[in-house]
Amino acid sequence: MKAYTSYKKKNGILREFKKNHQLYLMCIPAIVFLIAFSYIPMAGIYMAFTDHKLLDGIFGSQFVGLRWFKAFFGVDTGSGTRFNGMGLKSVYNTLYINLFGLIFGTAVPITIAICFNEIKNKGFKKITQSAMFFPYFLSWIVVGAIINAFFANSTGMINRVLVNLGQQRVRWYAEPWHWKGIIITADVWKWCGYNSIIYMAAMSNFDPSLYEAATVDGANRFQMIWRITLPLLKPTVIVLTLMSIGRIFFGDFGMIYGIVGNNSLLYDEVAVIDTYVYSAMKSLGFSYTTAIGLMQSVLGLILVSLANHFAKKINDGEGLF
Amino acid sequence: MDAPAVNIKNRIHTSIGDKLVKIFSITFIAIIAIACLYPLLMVLSVSFSDNSVVAKKGFSVIPQKATLDTYVYLFARSGSRILRSYIVTICITIAGTLGAMIVTSMISFSLSIRDLKYRNAISFFCNFTIIFSAGLVPWYIVCSQVYHLRDTYFALILPSMFSVWNMFLLRTYFSSIPVSLYESARLDGASWLQIWWKVGLPLNKTGMLTVGMMYALNYWNEWWNALMFIDDKNKFPLQYILYNVMSNVNAIMSGRVPPGAAANIKLPSETMKMAVTIITIGPIIFLYPFIQKYFVNGIMTGAVKE
Repeated sequence: MKAYTSYKKKNGILREFKKNHQLYLMCIPAIVFLIAFSYIPMAGIYMAFTDHKLLDGIFGSQFVGLRWFKAFFGVDTGSGTRFNGMGLKSVYNTLYINLFGLIFGTAVPITIAICFNEIKNKGFKKITQSAMFFPYFLSWIVVGAIINAFFANSTGMINRVLVNLGQQRVRWYAEPWHWKGIIITADVWKWCGYNSIIYMAAMSNFDPSLYEAATVDGANRFQMIWRITLPLLKPTVIVLTLMSIGRIFFGDFGMIYGIVGNNSLLYDEVAVIDTYVYSAMKSLGFSYTTAIGLMQSVLGLILVSLANHFAKKINDGEGLF
Repeated sequence: MDAPAVNIKNRIHTSIGDKLVKIFSITFIAIIAIACLYPLLMVLSVSFSDNSVVAKKGFSVIPQKATLDTYVYLFARSGSRILRSYIVTICITIAGTLGAMIVTSMISFSLSIRDLKYRNAISFFCNFTIIFSAGLVPWYIVCSQVYHLRDTYFALILPSMFSVWNMFLLRTYFSSIPVSLYESARLDGASWLQIWWKVGLPLNKTGMLTVGMMYALNYWNEWWNALMFIDDKNKFPLQYILYNVMSNVNAIMSGRVPPGAAANIKLPSETMKMAVTIITIGPIIFLYPFIQKYFVNGIMTGAVKE
């Protein structure tokens, strides 16, 4: 009996492939790309547990267990490699930039979306929305060049203003402590138009009768925003926040590199895990940096799964993915 | 997009609160819009200004002593390099977007058909790459040592050819096409490949344009793969040229480069930097009014699904 069902099941698979083989074939190119650029590199994770030497290859190098993970947390492993403590600093920087990016990157777009709704003038809306959305189209390199125009030591816009006001020039590119703030501002600037559209999409689905009822009851616009719009936006905000928390250990490589580049003075202050991995890849070896990447990915997997679990609870069973 | 308009006519008195909300809204939106547009206008204006005036007076949004000198100088001096990377960028954008659209639309179309029994398994196979990745280093080693992508144009095209996000977005568009339209073609003996090409794609013009624009923008702004894999100056895409200009500037400004060496590296002038920036943004400036709506469309479609 058992043999019969398994035979039938196998037959079912075969029949399914026979019936829809063209559709499955159409998935193949994309699957090949995923295997080539996502799944095959996963085999390389093994390097995190070996002392990778180029000549020995990925699987021929000596197995060293958890040495690199210990080294990351500052445990002396006697391997002779010296680590300067940048690893933990980069984790701190990543969390700092992402956390404030998350707070302002939520508050500003929501305010934009709500204010936008209060304005009736179509022309004004069209022009301002086009303006706010434009930064999304720029690469971080271009944003970096724009930031340079503002903060350059002698010719920069801001130093000009400071001088005109009788203040001292600030040597922005030599004083690291400004840069977390500058980067967070640039992040909010680039994404505010994009993110506000997501909230506007959510708001367009709100039930109009709620607002009509509130008008009949004599509520003013502010009360409607506070009592109706914001509570209705809450699920969207929670879902997007959960998504960001799932990726809180991932820094935006392009953002950091595009704005700060290889400026070694500013580097320590704004290095995130991703840029640290890139710059340490050549100096501290492939194994150590693979280990960091692995910790990041595993933490990411755990956080995303948790976030998905909570999103399902809040969203009537509809998860993030 | 508008929240339901409140019937104001019925109300004899508009309360002061309402007016304040309106004034605040207009002011806030205007400030943000200016903050988003101002830097670009400034860059544009400086690139058309006379360098000596800019050095003396600083930046402004109105070109000072408007001139094309910077662009003329730029193209006379390093025109071939810029032109070359322009061609590189245009070619990778066209080739990459075309390839990506074929790969992405085939799988999205396929996964949008409910009859496909294992479509959830395939979706998970795609999704898993979003939630877990090997990390930069194994990816880099496989690309450079196994696929030998170093210093090839493929390095600029292949790694970003398939985006799972775009696939799900396009699938949402395909899912809204009624299956009955495919059924009749099936009865006429058409293969799924023919249906995809002759029925699916023509019915999904908005989706294809939207996702195509997203891929194209991504390829236009490509510099990360160049940073990883390209050393040959002839293969630099545009963005990477600007990156190199800016990182020289950064290195000198940090004061770390010894004075002797700094004297040898000639800093590009302000107008020059801004002109390179404008050239890098390139056609986006002119196309923006026409392409903007597709991106808004895409974000809305993606957002509503959530």
